[in-house]
Amino acid sequence: MDLNLSPEDRAFRDRTRAWLAANVPRTELKTLEERRAWHRTMYEAGYVGMGWPREYGGQGASPMKMAIVADEMARANAPAPINGLGIGFIGPTIIIHGTDAQKQRYLKKILTAEEIWCQLYSEPNSGSDLASLRTRAEDKGDHFLVNGQKIWTSGGHISDWGILLARTDPAVAKHKGISCFLLDMRQPGVEVRPLKQITGSAEFNEVFMTNARVEKSDLIGRLGQGWEIAQTTLGFERGGNSIARVTRYASAFERLLEAARKLRRAGKPLLEDPVVRAKLGRVYAEMEVQRYAALRVLSALQKGDSPGAASSITKLSYSEFEKRYYELCLEILGPYGQVTDGGLEESSLDVDSSSGVRSSWAYAFLWARAGTIYSGSSEIQKNVIGERVLGLPKEIRADRVAGESRGGR
Amino acid sequence: MDFSFSPDQQLLKNSARAFLDEHMKPAHVRALWDDPRGESETLWKEMAQLGWLGLALPEDAGGSALGLVETSILQEELGRAACPSPYLPTVLAATAIDRFGSAAQKSRWLPAVAGGSARATVALLERELDWDAAAIRTRAEERGGKVVLTGVKQFVPWAHVADVILVPAVAGASPAVFAVETSAPGVSVTPLTGMDPGLRLATVTLDGAAVAAEARLPGDGALEFLLQRGAVGAAAEMLGAARRCLDMSVDYAKVREQFGQPIGSFQAIRHKCAEMLLEVENSHAAVYYAAWSLEHAAEDGPLSASVAKAYVGDASRKVCGDAIQVHGGIGFTWEYDLHLYFKRAKALEPMYGDADYHRELIVRRVAR
Repeated sequence: MDLNLSPEDRAFRDRTRAWLAANVPRTELKTLEERRAWHRTMYEAGYVGMGWPREYGGQGASPMKMAIVADEMARANAPAPINGLGIGFIGPTIIIHGTDAQKQRYLKKILTAEEIWCQLYSEPNSGSDLASLRTRAEDKGDHFLVNGQKIWTSGGHISDWGILLARTDPAVAKHKGISCFLLDMRQPGVEVRPLKQITGSAEFNEVFMTNARVEKSDLIGRLGQGWEIAQTTLGFERGGNSIARVTRYASAFERLLEAARKLRRAGKPLLEDPVVRAKLGRVYAEMEVQRYAALRVLSALQKGDSPGAASSITKLSYSEFEKRYYELCLEILGPYGQVTDGGLEESSLDVDSSSGVRSSWAYAFLWARAGTIYSGSSEIQKNVIGERVLGLPKEIRADRVAGESRGGR
Repeated sequence: MDFSFSPDQQLLKNSARAFLDEHMKPAHVRALWDDPRGESETLWKEMAQLGWLGLALPEDAGGSALGLVETSILQEELGRAACPSPYLPTVLAATAIDRFGSAAQKSRWLPAVAGGSARATVALLERELDWDAAAIRTRAEERGGKVVLTGVKQFVPWAHVADVILVPAVAGASPAVFAVETSAPGVSVTPLTGMDPGLRLATVTLDGAAVAAEARLPGDGALEFLLQRGAVGAAAEMLGAARRCLDMSVDYAKVREQFGQPIGSFQAIRHKCAEMLLEVENSHAAVYYAAWSLEHAAEDGPLSASVAKAYVGDASRKVCGDAIQVHGGIGFTWEYDLHLYFKRAKALEPMYGDADYHRELIVRRVAR
């Protein structure tokens, strides 16, 4: 056991910190073009797609180096690069399962964000039970014809391409009749409608596909292999960003303390109130434990251990903590915590959101409700932990009994 | 950066597990519960031979010069076995003597502890249960070349078998720590019976107990050291108890059938077990982060010790309690072994600073 950074990693951290200090934009990035420019700057400095193999434009960087960059970006309050899904897991999916032609065609432009990507998985009637999805892709000889509706498509409104799960064989068991495709989002058969969330913003979309076309060459893997591909790559969504996430919580905690020094109760600063202190101490302990646990996961990744189903523990832990954390923040801040416009200095903080925008306490509080739903809800994570980590027996499911013979409806 | 155990650390863990599985079965624990002394002289000697007692003591005292990570590994396994033993307070006191004691104190106690011929403990609490150093009422006064101690220490772990007690007392204006032999005149030890008979406590009355002036530990900071290291040791032991309760619950949920199915197939049970695992894994991270950070004098070492004690105290209470719930009625019976671990975790919760106190320490550190 040795919790010190290696000299090499420490030097890398110092270089990264210095680079960010010199290069992070001073003003908020408002347009997509400004964000693309910042992405390009980071890409050229070697901070985008670091984990990709060298032959595909990455550096084969260690999980530790990627975590250092994410953490330093959080400390520097740097805007995120765009195309996060493309770089985080769609590119790696193409690297693992794609043909040479697909790699040639798509990978470089994912890295440079010349083409932005989204994920077309969830459907209105297929959330936790994703394998029940109904979007159809029919083989029309020289192409596939796609009809159906997707939802919760993050960044769909700015995307050029999407990775799509669609049913190609309704006659077999539901997990076996799904295939994985690359869909051109800029075609007449694809309509994208923003989905306004409880935050008031619209990072997500609904996507309607009406006789949309997918070339034969844009099938990933084999027909019917889609579910397997989705399973192997969903894990890319988790892991390396946990340290940076806690760094953001910690920076919010500093602002919370500042507020607790200014607000008063019974004539004294809130920070001197024993009830408030007990709550602050509890939440700080939980926050630190999130950091220790993230370090432990990072250490395992660094050694080449795949966390597998155990990554469900990380996801469950941080997303549930995040809700408790911002609930406490708003409790301490009172109505200040609910100001979305025109508030005090301490009513704004930086939070990690899919769009990387600066935002209010209220936004962070509301956004936290998403964390325990997306990427597998807390209930699904607990099922995964129970079945695959603890080895508890599977529940008897109605679709598992019927679905094996009836197929995916 | 490497958060995992080294091969040597893993070996220590495996051998401790194997030893305790054989020599500290639940039946052995129960036998010691009924024993007036509450611990086993044979076991203590075996621990000495295994090198456990001198694990963190210097080599010239017969120790292995290892650190708090290794001690915590053993502590976790002892908790997993609900082993009744003065291991924690003895090793804690000996490590403090090694760090803050005089040459004479070291040569008097360290080889004796490492060799298994002496037991030690620490007296951190008084009647009002105020953990702050400023609240210590026990007085130390110089009289005729001696130091005379007057006061009452409460809930002192394993004092009835200890040869020496580290006693914080007010000397002049500030608190100091004295190594007081239990055989000294004016020292009386009154055992009390607690909910966990595997963790014996006693009231120690110092009624003008006269000790040599050299009984004072000359180094500064012993009191904080005892609280921080004790907190991590207790957290490690609670972690072990919680891990045992989780394992028993999962095993039981796989075989216990109701409504024609193993109860582990029901989400109500499976989700509870998943939550228990989450708490256990987070507790593991908290305990070993703190152990490593204190041992290596990291800047956040003292903070992480408070984090570990506060977090693991709450987590282990939840996990061990949920284990009873998963088991249902059988888990509430005296014959079933679950309560051995449930009670150990609970007994350690208020020791070495309770969660409320450590949360207050956290705020003092981060809101300066």
